[in-house]
Amino acid sequence: MIKRKIAILLAAIVMLSLITLSACDGTNKDVPSTGTTGTESSGGTSADERIRITYAQWGNETETAACQAVADKFNAQQDKIYVEVLKIDYDNYIAKLNTMATAGELPDTAIMSEAGVLTFAKNGLLYDISEMYEENEAKPLDCITFKNNGTPVAYSAANEVLNIWYNIDLLKEVCEKQGLDINQFTPPAKAEDAWSWDEFVRVAQTLTIDVNGRNALDPNFDPNNVDIYGCCVNILPWQLEVWCLSNGGGFFNKDGTECIINQPEAVEALQAIADLSLKYHCAPPVSTAATALSTSLGTEKIVMATDGAWNVGTYLGPDANFEYGVGVLPYFKEKVTICTGGPNVVFATTKHPEEAMTWLKWYYQEENSWDLIENGTWMPILESWYTNSELTDKWINNKNYPEAGMYKSAVVDYAFNNAVSTAWYYVSGTDVFNAALDTAMSYVWTGDMTAREAINKYYDELNRIFLENN
Amino acid sequence: MDIRKQVPDIKGVLGMNNGGQIKSGRHKPFLTNSRKEAITAYLCLIPAFLGLSMISYIPTLSAFVLSLFKWNGMTSPEFIGFDNYKEMFTIDIYFTDSLKATLVYAFLAVIGSMIYSLFIAILLNMNIPARPLWRSIFFVPYMLPAIGVYTTWRWLYELNYGLFNHINRMLGLPPVKYLESPKNVLPSLALIAVWCAGNLIVIFLAGLQNVPGVYQEAAEIDGANSWQRFWYITIPYMSPIIFYNLLMALIINLQVVTPALAITNGGPQNASMFMSYLIYRYAFTKYKIGYAAAYAAIFFVLVGIFTAILFATSKYWLFYEEEGGK
Amino acid sequence: MEGSVNNTYTIKSSFFKSKQRREKIVNGIAFVFVVIFAAAVLLPLWWIIRSSLMSNGVLYSYPPSFIPYEWMVSNYSKTLETFKYWTYFKNTFTIIIPAVTFGTITAIFCGYAFARLRFKGKKLIFTLCVGTILLPGMVTLIPLYIFWTKIVGLGGTYWPLILPFLTGGGFFNIYLIRQFMTTVPKEIDESAEIDGASRMCILWSILVPNIKPAITVVILMLFIQLWNDLLQQLIYINDMNKITFAIALTNFTGSFGTKWNLAMAATCMVIAPGIIIYLIGQKSFVEGIVLTGIKT
Repeated sequence: MIKRKIAILLAAIVMLSLITLSACDGTNKDVPSTGTTGTESSGGTSADERIRITYAQWGNETETAACQAVADKFNAQQDKIYVEVLKIDYDNYIAKLNTMATAGELPDTAIMSEAGVLTFAKNGLLYDISEMYEENEAKPLDCITFKNNGTPVAYSAANEVLNIWYNIDLLKEVCEKQGLDINQFTPPAKAEDAWSWDEFVRVAQTLTIDVNGRNALDPNFDPNNVDIYGCCVNILPWQLEVWCLSNGGGFFNKDGTECIINQPEAVEALQAIADLSLKYHCAPPVSTAATALSTSLGTEKIVMATDGAWNVGTYLGPDANFEYGVGVLPYFKEKVTICTGGPNVVFATTKHPEEAMTWLKWYYQEENSWDLIENGTWMPILESWYTNSELTDKWINNKNYPEAGMYKSAVVDYAFNNAVSTAWYYVSGTDVFNAALDTAMSYVWTGDMTAREAINKYYDELNRIFLENN
Repeated sequence: MDIRKQVPDIKGVLGMNNGGQIKSGRHKPFLTNSRKEAITAYLCLIPAFLGLSMISYIPTLSAFVLSLFKWNGMTSPEFIGFDNYKEMFTIDIYFTDSLKATLVYAFLAVIGSMIYSLFIAILLNMNIPARPLWRSIFFVPYMLPAIGVYTTWRWLYELNYGLFNHINRMLGLPPVKYLESPKNVLPSLALIAVWCAGNLIVIFLAGLQNVPGVYQEAAEIDGANSWQRFWYITIPYMSPIIFYNLLMALIINLQVVTPALAITNGGPQNASMFMSYLIYRYAFTKYKIGYAAAYAAIFFVLVGIFTAILFATSKYWLFYEEEGGK
Repeated sequence: MEGSVNNTYTIKSSFFKSKQRREKIVNGIAFVFVVIFAAAVLLPLWWIIRSSLMSNGVLYSYPPSFIPYEWMVSNYSKTLETFKYWTYFKNTFTIIIPAVTFGTITAIFCGYAFARLRFKGKKLIFTLCVGTILLPGMVTLIPLYIFWTKIVGLGGTYWPLILPFLTGGGFFNIYLIRQFMTTVPKEIDESAEIDGASRMCILWSILVPNIKPAITVVILMLFIQLWNDLLQQLIYINDMNKITFAIALTNFTGSFGTKWNLAMAATCMVIAPGIIIYLIGQKSFVEGIVLTGIKT
């Protein structure tokens, strides 16, 4: 009896082991070695003698599909190179890349997070791509070129700038309720008409109404029962930099040699953002809603919000339930916005740098990543798209985009004339810096400290991070 | 009530006479019974011992060694002795915050999930209608992938537009800063851990089922009411299971990292800067692997101390014959 | 039975005329509590489900609606366009079946050794085992990655995800088995030993059936641990055709916003097999309940 049971058990174990082994053998056959040499994907033929390179990226399902489509197109044209797309989860991208770097198993080329590029470059992990473009060739815009000690180490795959986005339906509703002229309260689409900060605050206050229908300028306004808020400024630390720049300061000085976030210009600007909700009650108390348009404008209880241009393709175009518009940011002293974009890099460990660069250069041509540009997620990186009206029209006359004239002046011209690089294009360790700044600012959002107190408390740490990395 | 004394007696009789009795049985010159027993034990333990040393101790030791180096994972490591530890205790502004966050969170989550899961398990062990349905409901949160759990809770907790504050407003209460206030963030996150404690419920259920019916019946004949039966029979019999759940809940909650990764990023004001999240941050986003290893070493000691305390106190309340582990 | 009740209890027993009646009241109260708690537990669960049935546009609109304004069942078919359910299913089970099987078996062996056998160095080995749980997994992530890819050369395969489970799936599973074995009266296996049964016989034919609920728990916990383990799987699996459910769920998140309605639909689909496994597994609890049900 007992022996029979044991026999059955043993038989079960043996069978399961066989199943396992066959399953795992299957894995082994398919994957001779993943990572540096690449695997056979459905697109490749087994007798393929092309050089295989891996390209890692972190897009969501639409971006991954678009990226795979681009790679397929490239592979179909190429008889020397075969690109395999590696998808890594965005939230764990750096963790995986660092682990691979430590083990010396990096892919050949990848799109990286902006903040990691210079750290990798300073540690000699990035291939020098300065010979990617010839002297007289059309290069990507200078403001989206990552520079390590002045030499380019990466170009952003796309250009993105910060703007003010607004819910036209809600704006109309609020103006009608109060009998206001909507034109005076529509965010200006031209940089020359940009609101000063005080104007912006006044407009936002007028558009903020409590449950009794009083706006935030009314002495009887009830800040604890607000129905509609006038504005919501994105409080992601990297986006806060734009306000410091606008006030004549910044996180770092222009050549990235000094951390100047404790200077009055930066501190004043940061305080002004906090005051929107603490003092003027025209923005909701700071919460996670303030980190994306889908959670701020998406509530349909906020009239205006700031965020990046990618939202046209990822949220506003496909998902938003309201008509939306775009305007330029308000300003303190300088009319400025910041630009950014995920950078494509070639890793120094690659055995095929030439092929990797060929692929990236091909990928940088707008017509090859057209899907993402057409739906509004990416803005082109080559200057001609901003200056040549034919190309601009081709770009922005698409169904996902808002009214072309407005987008042209508020985004295209604004990006070309008023955008400066985000700090991570020339300062290393900004991810760590921003994480510490996030902590410091959490004291300010709740009103427990003024921006001055919080920055003073954290300046040593912020400056130490800056000095350690640069 | 004499039931309390009665039960240990029964167990004592069952447990004590283990070794002696067997030895008196047969005589074997080389392979004595106790030697055979030991060999069986070693054979049983081989896979685990090999595996655990390979995948646990060697990496752990390497982490300890790494803690003496300055290393960013890219360039070659540089030996700096105990400088990492010195930095941690002197200039690191996160150290005390992370210690506090880890301990407070673990305390709240462990107490909360233990009480909740034992209570629910007892309820589910009673004769109520549609038991399989209720059991599944309480277990499902444990099965959910973290990404779904934390995203949903973040929406529910959201200060201005979340469901909980919407309900508060409808009831005429002021909105609560569940995640935005440093005072509330840990209880809010601990509540998620309690909600996810389906595994503890299942283990308690399994334990309740293993309480031998004999003693229950004997006690009932002696006139014990259900509360007394619960307190003097079920609880002592469950004590190994309670200890197990307590140990598991303690260690898992001390090592908490996902809520910080998924929701708070350690904020606000460092209130949820859990130590293992800080280790993650140093190792994977700050490129300070050596420094992270030093944190890990301190963390290892910290968790070790709590585990040792738990094991040491278990002598006084754990109810079974233990001739091995100690 | 009622006759043996001593004086202290006569008052109480007169309160409840019969035992059955008392039991009914207690169970009734218990049921009310279960329903209240279940409702609280269900709220976030419902939030996931209702989010999976909404458009991304109305997901955040305020006030939040309990019931989708428009039931978008199409989210599920849309999700399945990019979410290759059966591929991920196959991949996940390729890892789970061997890992759970071997993990459970080795956990039983180890648990048995610690619960019942006496040997030299037991205390030391036990302490060493406890030591393995003191560090969170991510601390050993980089050394292990180097070990599996550089030293053993198993990068890009499922082996680094399966082989660690040959160790009983970690200390917690071993210890759970051990704890449950200690609650089985030793009398039982001693009498079998006197009858001449070997130790392995005692283990598999006496102890294992006696702790079936615990073994079910171990299987469930191993299953779910593997089902949801993102970090390890992410580190070792590169090929898009080899990814598991845990990784596939992250495909909806991106730098430029996330389609949360689709992600939630995928989440709902992913937990379905887990619920089925649980329903099968809980039979072992139901059996036990029936037994105890007779005597209380």
